[in-house]
Amino acid sequence: MSAAHRNINEREPRLEWKIIFPVFALMVIGAIFIYSATSNREALSNVPWYRQIYFQQVVWYIFGLTAATAACAFDYRSMSRWSLLFYWLMILLLLLVLIPGIGSARYGARRWIDLGLFQFQPSEFAKIAFVFALAHFLSKPKNELVTPRIFWKGMGLIILPFILIMAEPDLGSALVYLPVGLAMMLAAGVPVRFLRRLVTVAALLVALILADVLFLPQDWQFIKLEDYQRRRLLVYFGCDYTNYAPPDATEQELRRLRRRQFDDSYNIRQALISVGSGGFAGKGIGHGTQNALGFLPRGVSHNDFIFSVIAEESGFAGSMTVIVLYTVLFFSGLKISLQARDRLGRLLAVGFIVMLFSHVFVNIGMNIRLMPVTGIPLPLLSYGGSSVICSLLALGIIQNVYIYRKTY
Amino acid sequence: MLIFDQLKKSDRPLRILSGIILLCMVLLAALLWYIQIATSKKYVKSLQIQSYRTVPVASIRGKILDKNGTPLADSRPSYNIVLTLEDIRESFHEQYRRLRSLKRRNADAFNGESLGPLARYLAVSNIVSELSGIIQRPLTLDREEFHRHYTQKPALPVTLAEDLSFKELALFKEYPQKPAGVSLQIQPMRVYPFNAFAAHSIGYVRVQKNPEPSDLTDFNYALTELRGVSGIEGAFNDVLHGRPGAKSILVNNLGYRQSESTWMESIPGKNIYLTIDARIQKTAEEALASVAGNIKGAVVVMDPRNGDLLAVVSMPEFDPGIFTPTLSSKEWEELNDPDRRPAFNRATAGAYAPGSIYKIIVSLAGLDSGAIDPDENFENPGFIRVGRRTISDTAPPGIYDFRRAFKLSSNTYFIHFGLETGLDKLIEISSQLLLGRRTGIPVMQESSGNLPTPKWKNNTYGLPWTNGDTANLCIGQGPITVTPLQMAVMTSAIANGGKVFAPRIVQRVSKQGFPSQPPAELKPGELRGTLDVNPGAYSIIRRAMLADVEDSDGTGRHAAVDGMRICGKTGTAQVKRGGRLVRYDTWFVSFAPLESPRYVVVVLVEGGASGGTTCAPVAGRIYEEILKIESGTQAPIEPYYVRK
Repeated sequence: MSAAHRNINEREPRLEWKIIFPVFALMVIGAIFIYSATSNREALSNVPWYRQIYFQQVVWYIFGLTAATAACAFDYRSMSRWSLLFYWLMILLLLLVLIPGIGSARYGARRWIDLGLFQFQPSEFAKIAFVFALAHFLSKPKNELVTPRIFWKGMGLIILPFILIMAEPDLGSALVYLPVGLAMMLAAGVPVRFLRRLVTVAALLVALILADVLFLPQDWQFIKLEDYQRRRLLVYFGCDYTNYAPPDATEQELRRLRRRQFDDSYNIRQALISVGSGGFAGKGIGHGTQNALGFLPRGVSHNDFIFSVIAEESGFAGSMTVIVLYTVLFFSGLKISLQARDRLGRLLAVGFIVMLFSHVFVNIGMNIRLMPVTGIPLPLLSYGGSSVICSLLALGIIQNVYIYRKTY
Repeated sequence: MLIFDQLKKSDRPLRILSGIILLCMVLLAALLWYIQIATSKKYVKSLQIQSYRTVPVASIRGKILDKNGTPLADSRPSYNIVLTLEDIRESFHEQYRRLRSLKRRNADAFNGESLGPLARYLAVSNIVSELSGIIQRPLTLDREEFHRHYTQKPALPVTLAEDLSFKELALFKEYPQKPAGVSLQIQPMRVYPFNAFAAHSIGYVRVQKNPEPSDLTDFNYALTELRGVSGIEGAFNDVLHGRPGAKSILVNNLGYRQSESTWMESIPGKNIYLTIDARIQKTAEEALASVAGNIKGAVVVMDPRNGDLLAVVSMPEFDPGIFTPTLSSKEWEELNDPDRRPAFNRATAGAYAPGSIYKIIVSLAGLDSGAIDPDENFENPGFIRVGRRTISDTAPPGIYDFRRAFKLSSNTYFIHFGLETGLDKLIEISSQLLLGRRTGIPVMQESSGNLPTPKWKNNTYGLPWTNGDTANLCIGQGPITVTPLQMAVMTSAIANGGKVFAPRIVQRVSKQGFPSQPPAELKPGELRGTLDVNPGAYSIIRRAMLADVEDSDGTGRHAAVDGMRICGKTGTAQVKRGGRLVRYDTWFVSFAPLESPRYVVVVLVEGGASGGTTCAPVAGRIYEEILKIESGTQAPIEPYYVRK
């Protein structure tokens, strides 16, 4: 059957270069700036080149490209038959990661499963399975989607991983599920009144979390955020820590709180200084001082805050290049969703594009204080195997949808 | 554009989605433009504030030299051993780990003391004790001080040992395995090659901990620098000081130094050449010191042709080197001894009753007004009655002409003719000779003395001026006070025929390091005025002064020197406190040689026996040495260069 389609598509290009070009450009930028961000670290100076962080990233790129190529090898429609199985498998992994002994904790969050050789983050792969499952679920005939029962089932698919990832806790990754689910439902043709309800619920949820964190005393909080998450939100909303001090706090305690607020807003302050001091042309690759002198913390400069390094060293010109490359990527993806042969393909493309977009927007946003600091990586640029492989896998599937698109 | 064309004709949901995505990406782009272009300066500024420390670079202080180029104040390199903190961060960590494991075993041992500062202190004091062994000097590290340095200026090196001796320097340099982070730092240090020598003219510097903020740049850390507070060091501080340079130290997030760059070179201070001749100065100091052990007095040697000061001596003296780096309490006590007052410049700021040397001014006034006829014989009964007061004369009764009255310093003669001349004329001449006024010598210590007038007396005591006051003035007693410097100006005017020079001490200012360049600034001797006196009067007074020295009965005969015709006048002023005589301030003013006067020597001794016996020999000795210097037989002087 697939052979027949190939014949029909013969005169059409087999691959969408408008996807492939920005992907490769972003990978090159990623490798260069991860090199720049890590090259001056004393701890890495005696490490051979093949164990350097930038080289590991290149290895992840190769793995990711392999996975993407593999994802193109089979028709997405045949893959989608397994989607529910993937989904429940991921749910299982997300449960496992919460169990101490299996999931390993870093910075107070249980997000990684240690496989000895490397660690991976199930929440990253869960996003792929989730988009697949939801696309599969929503690709039923349009008239079935009108029934509330189907809608709530779909909602269930969204809420389940959301809650599990919240429990890790990984608020940022969990919140990404909301726009992705919403966009897919919109694209699937779910009646607007349902979506309005969904938006209302989502907005209420976010508002509740915020109200809880910002206005209720700590003992009353029914959503148990980790302390650092709460403080990140307080910093984001510019709340004065001293307002949350007990009424009988001594001057010394107040001073400690102020000091703490200063420390907590340190990362974002330094990220802004990095970005802003880049100016138009930047300081040149490897010449950024914020990262080299350690003002931008070493632990985050090559992953969550890689954009600050890029913006400092290549300036407005460089950060615009990144923005433009992502924009080309997103619109090429959306175009593919139009060309998709069926509703499944359309939903897959929309789901993955919105997922990538949410990551890009939140990550760059937190580098310039538009968004609160969450541990969301910048697709293809941040260091990290799970993130790189999942992003490339998602793009591979979009490419797959393009390969098996409808032709006239 | 292709993308949008296709989206337009297609379904609404995707149009909404792509609209939202486009909007968000444009929002990001706009914000990036705002941060990186529109308000970039603000962030660049924050970056500089947090990662650069601006530090001044000390400039080398200019020298002070005598007229022949002998250095009187110089800068020498001082070697300090310093420790760069960023180089020993590893040992900080090591000590910390060691302490932490100790604490695990025995938590009470530290009494809740935080380990970080303790670890740093231990790491540095290990280095200090190692260094102690290397240079064989006991060294200590003040814990508080180190902690303060670490928290306030970790980017700057810590000084472990100051001002190494040559031996210590050699030991340090030859030691094969120096502790990590330790290096030599060279700092310019003020040195006075002759120690206590011309100290009141040269002045001294002090270490200034918090220099005034420079208008050139804001420094994060002010380095200690030297600031002249007295003498030429003080008055010409800005010229000698030069301009400090500036360097920026790039620091990391912990405040440790990463690299530094000097963006403004320091400009060394200019050298100042004095009119002082070190050989004459030395002679004058030795001559005055030889009078008595604990002498208090002053000598001024001046060139009457141009007002150049060749020597300015004030005793007792001090060593200007003791002020740096710090004054010990014993040294402070000595400096502030209320009786000796070593820091007090008696030559320029000491106001004394002139006694008989004021008779020179009475002579000038009398001869000019015609009241005194030099050949007229005057009968001196041995006393004079002024109003109801009788003033006795130290000169014996008899017949006096001007010359005899002058050389025997007859009070009766000068009071008689002084009264005849009139107060106005006396005050006019005195005032033209700068009495009661500052000469403007830039040594930061000068007194104007006091020239009493009827107006002054009325203002001060509310009493009218009487003939008795004029009589007192004629013999240089009472409220009149003068400085040795003013007397040198007066004597010069007699020697040069009426030219009143403002004394000059700075000959020229030149640039450091460029001796071949012409002097930057030449300050000619300033003529402050010319006496309006009949020229014949000068030669009459000169002859009388010559007689005072050369005649066997002259009061100044002890100043006589073979080979030089010296003209002089002695003075012995009574110092009374509460109507009781406490001491005599004795004077000898002189110039030589008679034919073409080139030297004026003024000697003052507090509490001397008399001008003739105490001061005239001092002047004589100085003239003797001057003769040797002029004939080239005097040995050149060498700096003592004593290193502590």
